[in-house]
Amino acid sequence: MAPFGKTPPSGGDHEDFNLEQMEKETEEMLKLRYINKDNAEFKRTDGGFVSVRIGEEFYPRVQVVRMFPFSDPEKYISIRTPDEHSKEIGIIEDMKNVTKETAQMLTEQLNLRYFTPIITKIVNIKEEYGYAYFEVVTDRGACRFTINMGGHAVVHLSETRILISDIDENRFEIPDIMKLTTKELKKLDLFL
Amino acid sequence: MILKYDLSQENLALLSLPSGEEICYCVPYDIDENGDFLDDSYIVATQKRIVVLRHGERREQYMLSDCEKIASEPQIDCGLFLIQMHGEEHIIARFSGKHLSRFSYVARGLMMFLSGNMNLVSSDEYERTCPKCHRALPGTKQCPHCSKQGGGTAKQFLSMLTPYKKQLAVIFTVMSLAAIVTLLNPEIQKHLIDDVLYDRKGTLPQAYFFLSIIFGLSIGMVVINITKAYLCAKLGSTLSKDLRAKLYHKIQTLSLSFINDRRPGELMNRVVHDTNRVKMFMEDVFCNMFTVVIMFVFDIIYMLILDVKLALISFAFMPFGLILSTAFKKNIHRRFHRQWQKDDDVNSSLQDVISGMSVVKSYGKEAAEAKHFNELADSFAKINSKNEVFWAVFFPMLSFAMGAGVYLITYFGGVNVLNGRKSPGELLQFINYTSMLYMYLNWLTNLPRQLMNLVNSVERINDVMSQEPRIIDREKATELSINGSVEFRHATFGYKSYKPVLEDIKLSIKPGEMIGLVGASGTGKSTMINLIMHLYELDDGELLIDGKDIRDIRLENYHSQIGVVLQETFLFSGTILNNIKFAKPDATYEEVIRAAKMANAHDFICRTPDGYNTYVGERGFTLSGGERQRIAIARAILNEPKLLILDEATASLDTESEYLIQKALERLTNGRTTFAIAHRLSTLKDADRLVVIDGHSIAEIGTHNELMEQQGIYYKLVTAQLEMQKV
Repeated sequence: MAPFGKTPPSGGDHEDFNLEQMEKETEEMLKLRYINKDNAEFKRTDGGFVSVRIGEEFYPRVQVVRMFPFSDPEKYISIRTPDEHSKEIGIIEDMKNVTKETAQMLTEQLNLRYFTPIITKIVNIKEEYGYAYFEVVTDRGACRFTINMGGHAVVHLSETRILISDIDENRFEIPDIMKLTTKELKKLDLFL
Repeated sequence: MILKYDLSQENLALLSLPSGEEICYCVPYDIDENGDFLDDSYIVATQKRIVVLRHGERREQYMLSDCEKIASEPQIDCGLFLIQMHGEEHIIARFSGKHLSRFSYVARGLMMFLSGNMNLVSSDEYERTCPKCHRALPGTKQCPHCSKQGGGTAKQFLSMLTPYKKQLAVIFTVMSLAAIVTLLNPEIQKHLIDDVLYDRKGTLPQAYFFLSIIFGLSIGMVVINITKAYLCAKLGSTLSKDLRAKLYHKIQTLSLSFINDRRPGELMNRVVHDTNRVKMFMEDVFCNMFTVVIMFVFDIIYMLILDVKLALISFAFMPFGLILSTAFKKNIHRRFHRQWQKDDDVNSSLQDVISGMSVVKSYGKEAAEAKHFNELADSFAKINSKNEVFWAVFFPMLSFAMGAGVYLITYFGGVNVLNGRKSPGELLQFINYTSMLYMYLNWLTNLPRQLMNLVNSVERINDVMSQEPRIIDREKATELSINGSVEFRHATFGYKSYKPVLEDIKLSIKPGEMIGLVGASGTGKSTMINLIMHLYELDDGELLIDGKDIRDIRLENYHSQIGVVLQETFLFSGTILNNIKFAKPDATYEEVIRAAKMANAHDFICRTPDGYNTYVGERGFTLSGGERQRIAIARAILNEPKLLILDEATASLDTESEYLIQKALERLTNGRTTFAIAHRLSTLKDADRLVVIDGHSIAEIGTHNELMEQQGIYYKLVTAQLEMQKV
């Protein structure tokens, strides 16, 4: 049945392909490993990232990922390796489960990873030939951006919560359009 | 894409560049460490160092000699610029999506510096906003607003029109005639009233005389309008047809990288929609543009001559009318835009449910989906009826308001007539001119938008037309009858210059050899084949065919000697016969049948209702994947290629067709230099040598047995596949 004439010699310097090991790895992927203040130690690195030690394992840099960035940004935080394959090291179910200091550290990392300014004020929206030019104030400062009117630049996360994508693929959030003034709403009206 | 922004004098002074050190890259970053927006902040890189500038201050400086790795790491809606020093990664700057690809290029360029290659990388990607006017660019390199001080696009459009000078001259004559006739009509009416009808001055024959002139003018107007519309439509169609042909031809000569860099529909849009827009413009706008402008100007002059006071009164109403109609249009646009959006929602929801019907049914979600759809349809209906009511109520009101100027003229003019300062005919004439004025004004308010649409389309068309194909025949390129030896010499290539897919490939293949290319997906097997097919050109190094640089062989001549069988065979709409003859249209029936037999395709072709004349392709007879594959093999056999490329040719086939295809392929590859990619390694068992690609370069090379003994990557892949088969 083997299409190749010669059976490979076993052993050698290289790691053998091991079905058992692979199965073990896939099994491990199934597990939910929760991280809390007792089983993990996070530390800031000189480069501005965070390292973690969990038992025997040490990761010099981790990636901090929100699983539910819109519906529950402070819960279910996945701690992952920063490489291409990005394997999960563990999950923090709630920031309350880690020390204050760790929570602070991880929040910093989240703020580094996610950048979705929240629009607090719409100064002006100018429409010109298929593009709309926004002039807004956000929680990250004043800014101008441009959206394509033809595409689906505005996404509704709920009835009142919207996400606007600009032509540079930046995203801006308006958490509650009902909190905008009537004047602002009128400017935005066309995009809702 | 700009990788070297100009720095202000103050910022430049901060760098205190010694002579011999130059700015190689300079890009802005726009987020500070607190996550707030920043401006006037730059990362500047020279051949020796990286300097961080912020708000006219010099921050950190990093010597390139201290850097181990420089990277740009995309995050969510932002990115980080990182330097690795002493084994640890440091965050140097943070930026929004606007600069993401800019930083990737710079990081790649700086990595090249670290490896001792002091060449600069450049980016062919377009900016998304115009650096000058900050308007969004419609997928073009030049900004339609700013290119060549605004005259650029107009000039381009005029140059598009130059081949049609004669037609244009005729159209202009007709347009002028139309203007004259239109303006003449009220003048004649005046004479009819004042000289004939008023006070019963005239006689019946005189009345007939004026009436026949009016009648003649009306007939003339109809004839002129028909001629004008006909000529403009003809010119528009010819123009767009010619543009389409030019664009299509151009796109075919452009390299695949230009086409792949664009979204799939975009080029099609340019060929179909943008040329159509030019046509529409010629038919709807251009056709009337000059008539209206001429009439508008002469109308104003006439009115001033007739009665300065009344003319000024009606002009005074113009801004009012203008504001009113623009406001109305804006409102209508806003309302109907929302309606279209809702309509879109309804359609896409419907499409969603219909295409996912089996899922909806199997989970018993019909009722929930129906409710969701009803809600959408409801809100659409609400908006729709609201808009219709709005239209029905406000449009007559607008017409009334727009006509207010005419009522006023009638009043003041009427008083004049009663006072005997003006004849009734003159008043009628004046009223006629006033209504015309408002009509043209309304038309002219649409002009800017239509002109801008045209300008954008012209710019998009020109953007393609002005592209230089990157793969062209060199001057000294000659024909070559290929023998079949292929050699890669230090070949390096990446689809994006900052991201190499293959690096420093060294490989020499003898004529007639079959090479199996092995490696995980995304390692560059297909890229290697694309290079051999000369669809892309190397960034660095050489690719030799029979000892001759591939770039020195004429493209058409080279491609005619290559045969390709891919995983998914594309059949053109047409008969099986034409599909087999694709590369060799002059083949005889016998040659085609022989090729089909060799490809194990003859029998199934005979089973189809129309034999070799069976129509296949998009709306034709459906062939199975294996059958299509065998047609592709027949196509390749007929062409008698010197180089053969098989890219997953037997993947995704059932066992029987795989066997038939294997057999066919054996016949095909016999004595031909062949490159084969296969995920299933057993299909490469006939290969003379196997080349394992890993980590952008050749990791292992040798026969199956040699590689198995080495126990490297290939060995692992083979054992893995065997284990999987056991399971």
